[in-house]
Amino acid sequence: MLTCSQSGLADWIDRALCLEASTYHCANSRQKPSSQAKTHETIGVTVSKPDAAESRAELDRLFSATYEELRRLASSVRRNDPGATLSPTTLVNEAWLKLARSPEMAQTSPLHFRRIAGRAMRQVLIEAARRRNATKRGPVHAMVTFDESLNTSVGCASELLMLDDSLNELAKLNPRQAAIVESKFFGGFDIPSIAASLDISEATVLRDWRAARAWLAHELRNGN
Amino acid sequence: MDTARWERIQELFNAAVELPESARMSYVASSCGDDAELVAVVVSMLNEERTSGSVLDRDISAIANTILDDDTRLPPQTTFGPYRITSVLGSGGMGVVYLAERDDIGSRAAVKILRDAWLSPARRLRFSSEQRTLARLNHAAIARLYDAGTMTDGTPWFVMEYVDGKSLTEYCDAHRCTVRERLQLFRRACDAVLYAHSNAVIHRDLKPSNILVTKDGEIKLLDFGISKQMESSGDDSVRTLTALRLMTPAYAAPEQLRGRNIGVQTDVYSLGVILYELLAGELPFDLSRCTPAEAERTILDREPPRPSTRFRHTPRAGHAVTHASLTRGEWSDLDVLCLTAMHKDPEHRYRSVEALTRDVDNYLRGNPLDARPDSLRYVTAKFLRRNKRAASLAAVVLVLIGGVAAFYTLRLQRERSATLAEAARTQRVQSFMLNLFKGGDASTAPAESLTVLTLVDRGAREAAALSRDPLVQAELYATLGGIYQGLGEMNQADTLLSRALAARRRLLGDSSAGVAESMVALGMLRSDQARFDEAERLVRSGLAIDRRTLSAGHPAIAAATASLGQVLENRGSYPDAIKTLTEAVAMETAHGDTGVALNETLSELANTHFYLGHYATSDSINRRVLAMSTRLYGPSHPSVANDLINLGAIQFAWGHYEESEQYYRRALAINEAWYGSNNAEIASDLTMLARTLIADSRTDEASALLDRALATNERVYGMVHPRVASTLNEIGSVALRRKQYAKAATAFSRMLSIYRSVYGDKHYLIALATANLGSVYMSEGEYPRAEGLFRDAASRYAAAQGPDHINTGIALVKLGRCLLHEHRYADAEKESFAGYQILHKQIEPAGDFLRGALTDLIAANESLKQPQRAIRFKAELAQLPAEDEGKK
Repeated sequence: MLTCSQSGLADWIDRALCLEASTYHCANSRQKPSSQAKTHETIGVTVSKPDAAESRAELDRLFSATYEELRRLASSVRRNDPGATLSPTTLVNEAWLKLARSPEMAQTSPLHFRRIAGRAMRQVLIEAARRRNATKRGPVHAMVTFDESLNTSVGCASELLMLDDSLNELAKLNPRQAAIVESKFFGGFDIPSIAASLDISEATVLRDWRAARAWLAHELRNGN
Repeated sequence: MDTARWERIQELFNAAVELPESARMSYVASSCGDDAELVAVVVSMLNEERTSGSVLDRDISAIANTILDDDTRLPPQTTFGPYRITSVLGSGGMGVVYLAERDDIGSRAAVKILRDAWLSPARRLRFSSEQRTLARLNHAAIARLYDAGTMTDGTPWFVMEYVDGKSLTEYCDAHRCTVRERLQLFRRACDAVLYAHSNAVIHRDLKPSNILVTKDGEIKLLDFGISKQMESSGDDSVRTLTALRLMTPAYAAPEQLRGRNIGVQTDVYSLGVILYELLAGELPFDLSRCTPAEAERTILDREPPRPSTRFRHTPRAGHAVTHASLTRGEWSDLDVLCLTAMHKDPEHRYRSVEALTRDVDNYLRGNPLDARPDSLRYVTAKFLRRNKRAASLAAVVLVLIGGVAAFYTLRLQRERSATLAEAARTQRVQSFMLNLFKGGDASTAPAESLTVLTLVDRGAREAAALSRDPLVQAELYATLGGIYQGLGEMNQADTLLSRALAARRRLLGDSSAGVAESMVALGMLRSDQARFDEAERLVRSGLAIDRRTLSAGHPAIAAATASLGQVLENRGSYPDAIKTLTEAVAMETAHGDTGVALNETLSELANTHFYLGHYATSDSINRRVLAMSTRLYGPSHPSVANDLINLGAIQFAWGHYEESEQYYRRALAINEAWYGSNNAEIASDLTMLARTLIADSRTDEASALLDRALATNERVYGMVHPRVASTLNEIGSVALRRKQYAKAATAFSRMLSIYRSVYGDKHYLIALATANLGSVYMSEGEYPRAEGLFRDAASRYAAAQGPDHINTGIALVKLGRCLLHEHRYADAEKESFAGYQILHKQIEPAGDFLRGALTDLIAANESLKQPQRAIRFKAELAQLPAEDEGKK
């Protein structure tokens, strides 16, 4: 389970790097590190590091920071008030408020953050879903007590996990579309801000989203 | 599916979806040909487009609300080594901590598991770093590491001591602790932090919830999750940034929020906030309703109210301290203590946790705080409170001056404070003083030189007005003179020590113990001033008086003997010095001395052996001294630094530059924390360190260090002083290596003239300076000039240190090289061979010069058409051990 997500993350980072390129050039062609780096520089949206390995480390770091912050926020809201309503949009906004001031994020634009945040929120929810699922299937120890919401949440959890798989599939076909789904669905961002963060027209976002949504729904209905 | 197919699907879908629903199917059917699968997918997508049933159409908030948990449920694996986890203790930024039990013996432990280990390698590093830190710290007040490993999926975990306790603040309130009890608990927490610091670990996230107090009142420091290993470098900036995000803002130091350099003072700040909270019952700032940005601005920009004020205005329910339980003076001390620890500028905080604890102790004992030494009125008031029976105002003033003086004496050179304290015992004034600062061991406080100097100046002025009681005045002059000397203010020291001696002569007679003491003290000053004849005469006279007037075995005789040994050592009479120092060691050992004086004498003995090249002897004595010093003064004291420097010098002499650099850096860190960076001691440390860096070919780093050291030494010792010369030697050597010949020649010439005026014409250091100057000219190609200097150096070395001394050999090898450059092969062969023969006999390694000599001999003989002889040296060269990396 964890090994799978580990490679998933690595893939994502590769794709995120590739995405920067593919937005402008060819869809789905893995760029050579050097040309990726050039694209990075010319776009200037993200890190200005000239080296692809560094960009990747940078992305890794930003992602980890964002993920941790979202996770921490979600966790603390839940702990302090189990009945509190958690809105990913609010979490993402709060995370940005916190992270934007940290020197760690000094080089990060709000646009770039959004892309990362969508992905991080997806990861937070997927990890939670995995835990729910695991407790359903795994060896249940007698001393573990679960809250009553467990049963209702398990259905939801497995759906999310299926979505995650399909989304990974989509990302292989078109990384930009996967990013749009992440931002729209998991990150709760609206069309104009997604368009801005990917530097594409709103019409393109809408068209991509419509096709992606339909295909994902089709995949989910047919059990992948 | 591949990309092309997905493009095709979308193409069809996007076209169809724009059509009226009725037209879609026929369009798809007509466009797809006989690709039934394609038709099926596009049709299915078109259906999904019209309806909304998938998870994607649900409100993500609703999903989040059912899915997200507080992520502290039990992990799939529940046994870790012999421990079985039973419940959740809590979760932090990095991991979840569980309570675990050991079935066989029923003991409990805490298991910490890294959450989301897959997320990034950095998380794993941070986690394992905490584990390593814990493994390294072995202290009763720090939770211990028991076991560590990884789960089957690779998630790392470790088992540590389970602490069943309350947070420091909760405990104090629950037990209605008094201010004194709170301070005592706080002090013990400081001890644990100090221990971590002495193991090069900065905690960085100190807060009451990380400092637990058990039922038995034991303190336990927890959570080194974002701690920093001081010596680790590499990705430290990243770690700092990450740590910043994970830490608790209310206790974070301004430099942490700014992402600046973190040092021991960062923990001092957090401890200050904790103390504030313990005393006032509230944090300095109410951040509960602030946004993170507001909270940060508050911590960075706003001055905290004094704890006493905050306490008065917002007493918290349950806070057991009542305002009336302390006097105004006591509150005022505690205000100063907290606000010094919490100063926004790390430079103005307590320099170490040790300094902070010392002031807590000062407060608990009713002594003046180090943090406010510059207020004369304050010290007086403090004294009056402690000595309500003080007879007259005059006595108070005297005690005050003596007190201030002794106060700092204790923090300065330990041997001086020991001698002075010893001598003071018979004196009324200084017995008051001892009483005032009873228990003040040598590790009292770092010297804030400037402030101390101001104070001592004031003391000296006041003492000058005390002509009514000249003996007391003399006593004060002696004390203050010693302090000036310790501070490197030689002229003032000279004036006062000379006055003290004259007054005592006049008042006590020539053969009194007071005169003897003054003579030894002045002699030691002369020695520091490099006026060795006078120094030796004075100390010998003092010693003679002591021998005549005191009973055998009196500590003053041992002390004067040790002083004589030191003077002999300083003037370079090493065999005599060894004899005298050994004598002093025997006397001090016979007295059952507390160790302070013995430690000092042994250290000088080790130094003298070192100067004679007895490195192994010196090393073994120094190791003994280091152990003694650590026991006597604790690990962060300048004495320990001194011992480390000596050990470093030995490693350097052996050519072990890495070991040497490590010793020096440890020493420099201790001294900088203690003295601040603008001090003679630091100049000397910098020089030593630079020397090692030079040997290690790191000349740029070294050069900058040396210029700093020279400026400091000139200011402290004057323009003509061996210390200045020694720094010039280093500067010249670096300049030579960097081919800055003019700079090198200037430095060596100045060094030469300093040594001439200080040591006369026959000292071996004259030869050293001469030889080095020769090396500059040789590098510049001025061979005749260089030749003259090398010949001069060789004969001086031979006269001063013996014809078979390694230095003589080295000078001859240099001379041979120079002659070779002049194409005078026969002469070159003669000198190189003479040098080679001397070096060949040495036990200590001199491989580079030996190698140089052989190389030159080969070249000379080949030019002289003596191939047989050349072959002989070639064979020997081949037999030398491989070239030492660092030596060049």
